[in-house]
Amino acid sequence: MKPIELGKLALKQVTRNPVRSLLTAAGVAACMFLYTAVETMQHSLATVIESGADESTLVVYRENRFCPTTSRLPEHYLPEIERIDGVAEAIPIQVTVNNCGASLDVITFRGVPPETLALYNPGLKITAGSMQAWKDQSDAALVGEHFAQRRSLRPGDTFEAVGVRVYVAGIIRSELSQDNNVAYVHLPFLQHASKVGLGTVTQFNVRLTEGADATAVASAIDTLFASDAAPTTTRPEKAFFAQTAQDMIEMIGFTRWIGLGAVFAVLGLVANALLIAVKGRVQESAILQTIGFSRRQVGLIMVGEGALLGLLGGAIGSLGAAAYFHWQSFTLGNEGLTLALAPSLSVTLAGLAIAVLLGLVASIWPATLAATRPLVASLR
Amino acid sequence: MVATSVAIHLSKTVAKAHRYDLSKMKTSNPEPAFIQCRSLSKSYYKGSTVVTPLEALDLDVARGEFLALMGPSGSGKTTLLNLIAGIDTPTTGSLSVGGRDLGTLSRGRLTQWRAQHCGYIFQLYHLVPILTAFENIELPLLLDSSLDRKQRRQKVEAALDLVGLSDRARHRPTELSGGQEQRVAIARAIVADPGLLVADEPTGDLDRNSANQILDLLRELSSQYDKTIVMVTHDAHAAEAASRTLHLEKGQLIENTAPHSAQPARTATPTHA
Repeated sequence: MKPIELGKLALKQVTRNPVRSLLTAAGVAACMFLYTAVETMQHSLATVIESGADESTLVVYRENRFCPTTSRLPEHYLPEIERIDGVAEAIPIQVTVNNCGASLDVITFRGVPPETLALYNPGLKITAGSMQAWKDQSDAALVGEHFAQRRSLRPGDTFEAVGVRVYVAGIIRSELSQDNNVAYVHLPFLQHASKVGLGTVTQFNVRLTEGADATAVASAIDTLFASDAAPTTTRPEKAFFAQTAQDMIEMIGFTRWIGLGAVFAVLGLVANALLIAVKGRVQESAILQTIGFSRRQVGLIMVGEGALLGLLGGAIGSLGAAAYFHWQSFTLGNEGLTLALAPSLSVTLAGLAIAVLLGLVASIWPATLAATRPLVASLR
Repeated sequence: MVATSVAIHLSKTVAKAHRYDLSKMKTSNPEPAFIQCRSLSKSYYKGSTVVTPLEALDLDVARGEFLALMGPSGSGKTTLLNLIAGIDTPTTGSLSVGGRDLGTLSRGRLTQWRAQHCGYIFQLYHLVPILTAFENIELPLLLDSSLDRKQRRQKVEAALDLVGLSDRARHRPTELSGGQEQRVAIARAIVADPGLLVADEPTGDLDRNSANQILDLLRELSSQYDKTIVMVTHDAHAAEAASRTLHLEKGQLIENTAPHSAQPARTATPTHA
């Protein structure tokens, strides 16, 4: 018998028992939605930490401060930092956020000197508007595409947040996930608008020369300002992200258990639906064997049903979760680090594959039962 | 009426589709029994008690014969039928069908043998409820991977013609009457052109008119197409359709009724214990 014919029989069992199939698929879909949502958070976090982190970039922050609101450094540290051996360039950044704690709607402004942004971050791509329009207007903002999507912003719009009103000069896309969640504005404008005051920044991002020892340079910077009024803590960007993201990592790490629970729920749900089906189809399985279907073929029809139910539920759940995160554009933030919960093709496909796999696994026991019942007894 | 239409269908379509060898029924040369049981016994445990529904049974059935098995409940009729159909295996003794010793076949081989050589007709039809009449009949053909879709369709349509249900091909079992369901079940049993048909109370759940149509159909299959049919029945009227009736009691044959006059004479001489 051709496998395709077994598949067709399994498909008929699924499509022609619509109530059972839809109820089971709905349960699987709910669980896979949850699972995909959790995995989307995990994936988004990994993307921020790994792709955004760079060992050759140091972040100079105010010592013992963890939030952009409280980290204040004199802007005149810049030339002193640039004089240290191993420093290729440095950029002062003023970060203003609406919420330093964990939040699902974080607004982050990054104030940078307009003339250095393109130099410092050459990977930025303008997808709408123009860099020149941003440079020409002091209250202009280049808005990350996730941020723009979340707030439905287009070039020419104005918006206000955290007491700062800006004009949207362009939409940007970057390989660095962080850049897609923030709005870049002129440093003097942000210092003024956020009432931090001119001459004060949140941090310096320092790019090292090739072959420079990051630890030595960080130590040199901190030593230089150790006895100053604003002592610093300098870490590689990767370590900075890791520490800032620690709370999110723990919080999101916990959700893994929810995802695992969803997986077991799918297993139980599909297995239960198929076990009930097996009990209701004792004679049907026996008839197929009487006709000449082997036990293996009878079992495979059941396994096919499980896989199809998993596929159906997985498609609804995983694609539904992807669509939900795409349209809702959540941005999770903590201590100035923003995390866009963006759908990922790999996560969606993985969710789909896992749903099918769970359907297969869940159907093994019912399939074994269906195939191994004594034939004569089943016919009575 | 059905018999007439069936005969027409048989001659026009099914014979071509199934390559029935109509010359076989005209031969007068003696040939070995198609079904041959020797000292056939079946025992099984029910709790700690050994139950023996069949004991040392001898039986010969000729090719193309229509045999009715009668007897009270528990006499071993269905057990014998299941053994002949290869869905159960004997405890002792030998059983050969079409020259193949079923007792020596593994479970997998028996399954293959059933697919190719045996059609089973149940009292309660046992059609797969989610499949249409066409799809139910097509099931045995799916097992033959040498058949393409078009060939399968031709065979199913021929079988539907044979049972007079061409206009019910797309109907599901719930949309058919009992008699129609049983005719679909018969079409399913014969579509792969097996030499042997076994029927367990095929008219037991039908009204008299529908039962007569089914019996006519079985008789035609035996007389016109050389199908060997073994039918279990409680109904003496149904048994009259067969060419020979045997009675079972407590696992042993006790009576051999002479062939009915309406049936063609058979070439083999059945024996019984």
